Amino acid sequence: MRTEPTRIRSLDDPEVLVQTPATIYDAVPPLTPRTEREAEFYTLGDGEMFVNLGPQHPSTHGVLRVVLKIDGERIVDLDPVLGYLHRGVEKICEHGDWHHAISNCDPLEYAASMFSEALPVLAAEKLLGLEVPRRAEHIRVLVWELNRIASHALFIGWLALDLGGLTPILYGFTERDEIVEMLAALTGQKLLFNYMRIGGVNGDLNHEFLSRLGDWMGRAGKHIDGQATLMNENEIFVNRTKGLGVIDRETALRLAMSGPPLRASGVPYDVRRAHPYSVYPELEFDVPVRSEGDSYARYLLHIEEIKQSLRIIDQVLQRMPDGPVMAKLPRLLRVPPGRAYIALESPRGQYAAYAISDGTDQPFRFRIHDPSFFNLQAVGLLTPGHLVADIMAIMASLDPIMGGIDK
Amino acid sequence: MSSLSDPWKHLSTSGKIILPLVALLVLGTVALTVLWVVGIGPQVMQGLLDTAGANIGILRFLAAATGVLLFTVPAAFVIIFMELKIIAFMNLRIGPNRIGPWGTLSSTIHGLKVLAKEDYTPSGVDVPVFTLAPAVVYLAAVLTLLVIPFGPGMLGYEMELGLLYFFAVGGLGVIGLMMAGWSSFNKYSLLGGLRAAAAIISYELPLILGVMGVVLLAGTLNLGTIVENQSGWFLNWYAFQQPLALIIFFIAATAEASRTPFDFTEADSEIVAGFATEYSGMRFGFFFFAEYVNVFILSALTVTLFLGGWNGLFDIDPLLEAVGIATPVSLSLDIASLGPWLMAIPVLVLPILVMGLTALVWMVKSSWGFLVSLIVGFVLANLLIVGALSIWALFSFDALMGITWFLGKSFALVALFVLMRATFPRVRMDQLMGFAWKWMMPAALLNIFVTAGAILIVKELAG
Repeated sequence: MRTEPTRIRSLDDPEVLVQTPATIYDAVPPLTPRTEREAEFYTLGDGEMFVNLGPQHPSTHGVLRVVLKIDGERIVDLDPVLGYLHRGVEKICEHGDWHHAISNCDPLEYAASMFSEALPVLAAEKLLGLEVPRRAEHIRVLVWELNRIASHALFIGWLALDLGGLTPILYGFTERDEIVEMLAALTGQKLLFNYMRIGGVNGDLNHEFLSRLGDWMGRAGKHIDGQATLMNENEIFVNRTKGLGVIDRETALRLAMSGPPLRASGVPYDVRRAHPYSVYPELEFDVPVRSEGDSYARYLLHIEEIKQSLRIIDQVLQRMPDGPVMAKLPRLLRVPPGRAYIALESPRGQYAAYAISDGTDQPFRFRIHDPSFFNLQAVGLLTPGHLVADIMAIMASLDPIMGGIDK
Repeated sequence: MSSLSDPWKHLSTSGKIILPLVALLVLGTVALTVLWVVGIGPQVMQGLLDTAGANIGILRFLAAATGVLLFTVPAAFVIIFMELKIIAFMNLRIGPNRIGPWGTLSSTIHGLKVLAKEDYTPSGVDVPVFTLAPAVVYLAAVLTLLVIPFGPGMLGYEMELGLLYFFAVGGLGVIGLMMAGWSSFNKYSLLGGLRAAAAIISYELPLILGVMGVVLLAGTLNLGTIVENQSGWFLNWYAFQQPLALIIFFIAATAEASRTPFDFTEADSEIVAGFATEYSGMRFGFFFFAEYVNVFILSALTVTLFLGGWNGLFDIDPLLEAVGIATPVSLSLDIASLGPWLMAIPVLVLPILVMGLTALVWMVKSSWGFLVSLIVGFVLANLLIVGALSIWALFSFDALMGITWFLGKSFALVALFVLMRATFPRVRMDQLMGFAWKWMMPAALLNIFVTAGAILIVKELAG
């Protein structure tokens, strides 16, 4: 007598899956909790349930996954799960030479990659003790500030989109598109520019960039004001964001936050002023600070910063000296052994790198400090007790970029 | 055991409904053929016609319901196109411009696309409830249209308690949303369904209480009578006697239709698509359509109650009477009385008009040549005649004028809904509830008391 071979239901065997009647999902055997905190979080109380927000959710700004424990609409607790975008950038940087590190760091902060690609450049220059040509320094500040405006314009649109407004994101993208077009004329790329070089920048300013820049500068201030009027006085927008997600000064410092979220809590810390680099000490600009520490303050701060960036661009263009844009360097760059810590002010806060060189042409260790990661930690403190709708407003106002958080 | 051994089990739910209907149709056809062959067909037919005559009310209701159901489809297409285009203008985009002139057919193509998509039922859902939910939502929306007067005498169903019927049937939609949210086996759907229920129930109260002022003034719940009470020029509209009620009603209607800024039932940035998360194909299409039909219906009700319904801005009947063209219908019907010579005029109008316009076109644009000018002249003449006839028909038939005014005002309000969607962010759930209970309820109650008091005082003074 012939017997049917017994089959074990498995994902590798499609035939079995097709013939098995669809049932309600088999319960996934729970993993044994690794920490006390996990055990506490993954135990449901009375009337509570888990909602999985992400990694493919429209408003988590990338691939952040947050497991929410909710009671009705109210958030009881949350567990952020990171690592969906982990590429091991730090390790990859150790395997290429210093020049490769520039393009490897590019996609860390993909909304403003002029900042993250400057990390290995500044670190190598500090280790080499290199004098960068004045014109190159001015061009760097110019593209940094342009990129800051592009990033902030996007932030305003994202915040509105997460609150349900359809129009501001398009206005933000209009602004960003103009800047990105002019940077593309300069660098050849629209997103990951790969423009910084150890000892200068890749290519001098060209005619198309300058004509686009001049064209845009004439109406930039008006555009930003127009975009702000759509939201600043909007009753619904102000009600949704005012008093929401308040971080006080001490908590912000304790969480090692930086950038606009820190300055909105009343700490006037800006790396451009606190630890000056490049030509920033010679330029006139204010560090806008607000004391409220809520989402609305963070939004207003971004608009203020756009105006300050416009001011800096004006000055840089007027002071732009003549000369080369690259220092003279050997083709095979051997960086002297030593350690260097550099920091710069990205649109999201203090972007820093700690590099160790062993004297070869490759970095021995390249550690990256990403501000989004530290700013995002505040979500865990701010959201419990709020409604599900508020987690979007809080997260969008902290402006995280997952490329840098997961590295 | 092949999978074909039990076909009934493998049918989808819609298949299980359609198959018996097809069988019934086949049986009916066979039965009729047999009747005719036997020879008693005509008598049976006469009997059926008599039965229909005796039950004309039911037949009229069925015809009206079908007409209203058919009307909602093009109306939804127009609103979807308006939404695409108006929001595009607000966003500094071009918007749809590929299919049809200025992209006018793109919403129709969207509808066809939804029809062609796979109608997927995920495992774990409560199948009967999941299948019925879109139908409940859509029918609740469509059936409310029955009592809305589109023009003088153009009601789907004349009902003395029309307004009460409207709110009663419109309230059924919530059950459909909750069914969808509960049966989907998805937490986002559950949240969306419960949000919809909570929001709509708390906004039904200000919606109905806001209307009470108008009902007190009109003294009736019959929507046709309410519109007739507002005839005359536009200051007779209830919007000018009940401005507070209009504002309350409009805000509550926005929440009732779950439109921005109150669209948290399907907030894409929070709960993906709310109750519609697990739906695909035409079932999702029903939710999608029901939303736009709801927008139209609530605009239509606002127009009916507050903005004069099918009444124009001014009453031009006296003017038409004075000019002497008050009864152009009789004139047109009496054309034979003009005599043989004068009757030639309408026949000669077209050639004379064509030749005149051709000459004009040729003089203005001599490079075109005579033949092209003739064609252009012919088209222009036809357009002129059709335009003139349309204007004549508009002024001759009250129903045509009424429906033009009614649809014009309704779609203007729809445009306002769309503009609001492009402008506002979303209100949070608890803020919306607080607004409904703390501000709109007291305002609506105040409106009722003030209106009732004013009516009493006016009656005292008059009587």
